[in-house]
Amino acid sequence: MRLPTVADIERRIPRPDDFESRARGTALTARVGTALGVCFAVCFATGMWSHFQYSTPGWLTLSPNPAQLYRWTQGLHIASGTAAIPLLLVKLWSVFPRLFNRPATGARGLVVEVLERASIAALMGSTFFMLASGTLNIIGWYPWEFSFRRTHEAVAWVAIGSLVVHIGVKLPVIRTALGAPIEHPDEHLDPSAPTRRTVLRGAFAASGLAVLLTAGQSVPWLRKVSAFSVRPGDGPQDLPVNRTAAGAGTSETALDPAWRLEVTAGDRTVSLSRDELLAMPQSTHRLPIACVEGWSRSATWTGVPLRDLLALVGAEPDADVVLRSLQTKGAFGSSRVVGNVVKDDRTMLALSLNGEKLDIDHGYPARLIAPNRPGVFQTKWVNRLEVDA
Amino acid sequence: MRAVRALLVALGVGCGLWGVWLMRDFTREQLTSEAFWLAGGVILHDAVLAPVVVAIGYGASRVLPAHFRSGSATAFLVWGTLTVAFLPVLSGQGGKPGNETILGKPYVLSWVVLTLVLVAYAVVSAVWRRRQTRSRDMKTLHGSSS
Repeated sequence: MRLPTVADIERRIPRPDDFESRARGTALTARVGTALGVCFAVCFATGMWSHFQYSTPGWLTLSPNPAQLYRWTQGLHIASGTAAIPLLLVKLWSVFPRLFNRPATGARGLVVEVLERASIAALMGSTFFMLASGTLNIIGWYPWEFSFRRTHEAVAWVAIGSLVVHIGVKLPVIRTALGAPIEHPDEHLDPSAPTRRTVLRGAFAASGLAVLLTAGQSVPWLRKVSAFSVRPGDGPQDLPVNRTAAGAGTSETALDPAWRLEVTAGDRTVSLSRDELLAMPQSTHRLPIACVEGWSRSATWTGVPLRDLLALVGAEPDADVVLRSLQTKGAFGSSRVVGNVVKDDRTMLALSLNGEKLDIDHGYPARLIAPNRPGVFQTKWVNRLEVDA
Repeated sequence: MRAVRALLVALGVGCGLWGVWLMRDFTREQLTSEAFWLAGGVILHDAVLAPVVVAIGYGASRVLPAHFRSGSATAFLVWGTLTVAFLPVLSGQGGKPGNETILGKPYVLSWVVLTLVLVAYAVVSAVWRRRQTRSRDMKTLHGSSS
């Protein structure tokens, strides 16, 4: 018995022609790929918009209008990412035989092939990364050592970059494939086999279903239909909670009768009890909590407009403000509100929710609510309001 | 076309490099973990998921009666891709202790229902297809006799 040679092993590895399904082919790949490209473009744009809420570039001024904007962009971010999962899997299925293409001969051909394969590896690795880390962030599971937000942002650039390279490389193939009929010319030889059209419809159906069955976290009328959505809607005062008082370490401090809100501007400080806040003119607005995980819910909030509190310490109504929380555990224990949002009369320190005294898990004794603002910055258990000098 | 393609490749490489630049201050531990997740998906797909799907397709094309093939393929496509999409909520992981408002639905039960619905779809479409072929055959039969 002799040992197998390289040629023996090579013979055993399948070749692209060995894959027999006529449902595969560039006509299918290009169509699914186009839909996938649209999903990724929407996901990338809305994702970057979300990153701007965390670190705002100098050329952008965050606006309180439209109040529902972040709710829409982030809902769209999650929906487009979710829609991409079935499309990506079908697209990869349609090109899987190409993995077994034999390397080109000749130095030039080899270099081109290595570069193209490297770009595809970058594209696959980064898109898997984006979809996996994004969907795991939705359920709050972080089985990794990196920072979710910063890595999700950096890899997004790699993903969109390698996608654009891929489109550039494949442009002639894409154009030909989209112009040609979808059916395989020999489809009639095996009439009972699934066709390309069957697979394309299946991919779109799966993609649509994936969105429909999860979007209830942000679209109220889908809440019953979305069997796989997170945050189904139950929670204290009909509103889900991301970080509970226990999780933030505020279970006792938030209920302390000695609690005071300190408002400071330069050397002026005013200290207010909850009763004193309640005695001030109250305003009521219906505003959404809209989180980066895509879930959002509107609620009716009542409290003191932030600019009225600023007036107590003689600050301008459009000064930048930093809010600090009693929170001792976890991130986002403070947040900054830019003057443009502070001066809006809907930006308030909320004291009640849906007509009831604010639940401790929703930030009792007082929390920030502002229009068009990611949920993590709607600081709860506020005890300090500092006006920028 | 050549210029457009060159522009796209250059733009893409630029975006990719910007992404790498954003990772410049990541620690070695963070980068290792990131590399694991970047490579993990590709390996899991190319070495496990895709071969399994190819094997299932190969088997199904030989085992299933002809009228079952198309509907089963659609059902399997939808089932497989949705199962992957819903893996996070099905995993039983995540959420936060003492917070029932995050993962508050019977996800595994819904997945069982989804599976049954898709099996039913495959069966119904097979019955419908068989009827179609039969009536077509009958027509051909009558057509040739007259």
